[in-house]
Amino acid sequence: MQRPKVLIVDDDPDLLRALRLRLRANNYEVTTASDGYTAIASAQKERPALIILDLGLPVGDGFVVLERLQNIDALASVPVIVLSARDPQSNEERALKAGAAAFFQKPADNDELMNVIRVSLSPGQSQPAPWPS
Amino acid sequence: MDHQATNVLLIEDNPGDADLVRLRLVEGKSPVNVNCVNRLSDGLASLTNETPSVVLLDLNLPDSRGAETFRRVMDHSPNVPVVVLSGQDDEVLAMKAVHHGVQDYLIKGDISSKQLERAIRYAVERQALLHSLEMTQKQQLEFKNQFLSHVSHELRTPLTCIHQYVTLLLDGIAGPVAPDQADHLKTVLKSVNQLHAMIRDLLEATRAESGKMRIEPRCITLGELVQQTIAMLRPTAEEKQIGLEVGVDQRLPLVYADPDRVLEVLINLVDNAIKFTPADGSVMVQASMVDADPGFVYVSVSDTGRGINPEAKALVFDRLYQDSDSVDNNRSGLGLGLFICKEIVRLHGGRIWVFSEPGQGSTFTFTLPVYSLPKLLFPVITYEESLRPSFVLVRVELTPLSYPPRGNWKETWQQCLETLRRCVYLDKDLVLPPLSASGAAETFFVVASTDLQQSGVMTARIREQLERVPNLKTKATLTIMAASVELPSGSPGASLEQQVQTVADAVTGMIMASMERKKSRAGSGPRDSN
Repeated sequence: MQRPKVLIVDDDPDLLRALRLRLRANNYEVTTASDGYTAIASAQKERPALIILDLGLPVGDGFVVLERLQNIDALASVPVIVLSARDPQSNEERALKAGAAAFFQKPADNDELMNVIRVSLSPGQSQPAPWPS
Repeated sequence: MDHQATNVLLIEDNPGDADLVRLRLVEGKSPVNVNCVNRLSDGLASLTNETPSVVLLDLNLPDSRGAETFRRVMDHSPNVPVVVLSGQDDEVLAMKAVHHGVQDYLIKGDISSKQLERAIRYAVERQALLHSLEMTQKQQLEFKNQFLSHVSHELRTPLTCIHQYVTLLLDGIAGPVAPDQADHLKTVLKSVNQLHAMIRDLLEATRAESGKMRIEPRCITLGELVQQTIAMLRPTAEEKQIGLEVGVDQRLPLVYADPDRVLEVLINLVDNAIKFTPADGSVMVQASMVDADPGFVYVSVSDTGRGINPEAKALVFDRLYQDSDSVDNNRSGLGLGLFICKEIVRLHGGRIWVFSEPGQGSTFTFTLPVYSLPKLLFPVITYEESLRPSFVLVRVELTPLSYPPRGNWKETWQQCLETLRRCVYLDKDLVLPPLSASGAAETFFVVASTDLQQSGVMTARIREQLERVPNLKTKATLTIMAASVELPSGSPGASLEQQVQTVADAVTGMIMASMERKKSRAGSGPRDSN
């Protein structure tokens, strides 16, 4: 079975490297970007199954990236997990409204993060379920 | 010296007194413009249009009397200096006025123009100083809060890196780790977690101080939270050989509180108790009702530590208070824990205090309001001293499509709850506080003062609005139902309180029945109820 591809976007190269190692160890294929512009470009090229996104980024911050992703048909349904040091009280709702699937404040609990990644990728979840009439 | 004219607004209804004051003002050396009105309402209207240098105020006017007069002027224009010109030498009233912020209280009969001129000048100066002091304090507080919030954010970035690499090593992702090395890494991780907790506290305390702390009260069972706290802290207690005991009254009513916040308070208090108790001691968590105070549940955490000395007792809830010799004082934290606890309890409308005798241990007690449906319902289901004619109970159920739910489920249902609150009329409908989470589905209830036929408009609006909550469709299914609240034929002469109680009882019955049905449908076993 093919390993799901995850795009990690963060401007801290050390953290990027650590997250890459952890995700690879959990059987994901990993691709990375360290700014907003590269994030969009690489999402279009690589077609990841999931994106982990920091908010404070150079060249288009996380909110800009979220908005752009929502406007690209092929990427609008890719789940985005925001992983940011910012205060959830003022950023979480905004991120979720902008289309993020989840918000984690750094430092995040690894088990919880991996769990949400797994659930977001689980088969049968990608299609929106119909509303009961 | 400022030679600009002083603009005086004189609010005085007695023409003789007004002329006298005007005369005294004109006699003085500095230029004065006097605008005289004889009613408070005219005075307030004038204050709305322009800001005078000072208000000279008679207290007994045709449309306001006594302390009420200066209160209304100062509420209207808090930054304009007010000097009371009173006909009566009432020391009690004068004190009250000064405490309220009135700059001076003069007796009409015995003031010379020199005295009046001086009183006005000083009043203006004092008010200006006070204002700039307040502004400076506000700016400083704002600056400090911004700084702290920035610092806590910046500290998280390197901390995240340390956390990631330590856990990489510990989890064996970077290769096998020898047992000794794993032990060392665990020590690093423990310190990282402590640092993390401190950063969190720093931000929490900043929020509490600037009034930005939020709580989301629901209807909760305290016993569960106590058990959760004990389970989390038992390892720490065992490590120090401290006994952890629980005494929760099984007949405790539900409380109206934010479960995450209450858990935070409990963890903080129990953790503190363990910290200040020597080996072989014990910590006891109790929750009970007190006859004299039926509206609250009392929760207490007692330890067998060395107690708190009387001088410190008054200070323990202050920000940054540190006990100088805790049992392990190299790890005493920032001294923000109890301050945060106090703020959380205060936001719930409860109280927190400590009882302690040196050498006899300490008992921290806090109170949380009992969940009372009649109290919540009263303002919405009554109108002009009588019960509204009919009520409908609307049930909104969100069932996640997967278990565990996708993404941040709590955020999702909170968003739905916010949306739901915007769909109702605040003066006659009530979105009931959510019930303590009972597994996956979230069920919300709305009591609406309407009949079943009319309620269709509301349920349609709720559905329309909830369907717009972003991503809800990918996470949950939505079920909305409405039923009219059937009331037993009222006994004649029942008080309004009794009638409200009847509605509350009927609503409670319907909710219980609906939750029971759901439970049996889901096929899960019986749940603890108390």
